[in-house]
Amino acid sequence: MKNIFKNYGVEIVIGVIAIVLLILNPEKAIPSLLSAFRTWLSLVPVIIGIALLTALISVLLPKERIGKIIGKDSGLPGLFAGALFGSLMVGPAYVFFPFFGELKNKGASDRIIATTIGAWAIKPTWIPFAVTILGWKFVSIFNILLFLFAILSGIFVQAFMKQDQR
Amino acid sequence: MYTNLIVGIVIILGVAGAYIYYALKGEKKKVTVAAKKSVQVFVQNSIRLFSIFVIIALLQTFLSPEAVSSFLLKFNGIMGVLVGALTGSVMMGPAASSYPIAKYLLTNGAAVSLTAPFLFTWVAIGVVSFPLEMKNLGKRFTLLRNGFAFASAILVALLMGILV
Repeated sequence: MKNIFKNYGVEIVIGVIAIVLLILNPEKAIPSLLSAFRTWLSLVPVIIGIALLTALISVLLPKERIGKIIGKDSGLPGLFAGALFGSLMVGPAYVFFPFFGELKNKGASDRIIATTIGAWAIKPTWIPFAVTILGWKFVSIFNILLFLFAILSGIFVQAFMKQDQR
Repeated sequence: MYTNLIVGIVIILGVAGAYIYYALKGEKKKVTVAAKKSVQVFVQNSIRLFSIFVIIALLQTFLSPEAVSSFLLKFNGIMGVLVGALTGSVMMGPAASSYPIAKYLLTNGAAVSLTAPFLFTWVAIGVVSFPLEMKNLGKRFTLLRNGFAFASAILVALLMGILV
């Protein structure tokens, strides 16, 4: 029981907030909860896929192999692979946080993880839509800066994580 | 929304292939352990993610795009940059729902240097998902990554203010 509170503290607080709002303002709270459920439903295939992948990595993939591909010594190719993966994936980045956590446990570098999360902000499939709304100039400059940010973000995070270990 | 379905199915099929590969390689026991663990991971992730979706949905219902826009339009200059970046950090949701707000801001006279950091932190920083990021990637990682993202948002604001 104590473990449940420790593990799901944040979630329990959110649950309580939701219940209070349901009582105080049901006209707004009920559609909100339904919309949250629809979001979850639309992401169920991705969430199942990630759960299968996370378990596979944790039980079956040897640490050395992951370290070799996306570890500390994977260099620039690893960084660009992370950026590419981040920009091509769908759904919000935080859906993948538990998966990244497992990769980190298995030796993936902070640099690649931070770059991948940074590159999540680039959404190639939404660029045409963004252009119709905000124009070519704004969108292209914005996305170039996002890409630079993603790469630099990984380098920055790694630099300061290393100092910690020294 | 079909992209979620397609990508999800591609991941599931790919990973299922890997499970079958390991099972045939004679690691049946480990495959069973992994399959059982995946159910546990699915339930746990669903609880955590659902609570984030609830917060986002509440934010969207209680803070309408109109309310957010008219709040942001009160600021300009350096304050505009900071408030734009902070508002984007708190707000979350699909990138696509931030564009119409940005459009509204720009057509109503907001500076590019307010709109750009708002869009930037909308996608790059998620205050709502901080607990999940800390739990999985560590406090230090979360602070470093989001701190860097916030500083970058300010820089992007200044650059876009000059370039666009």
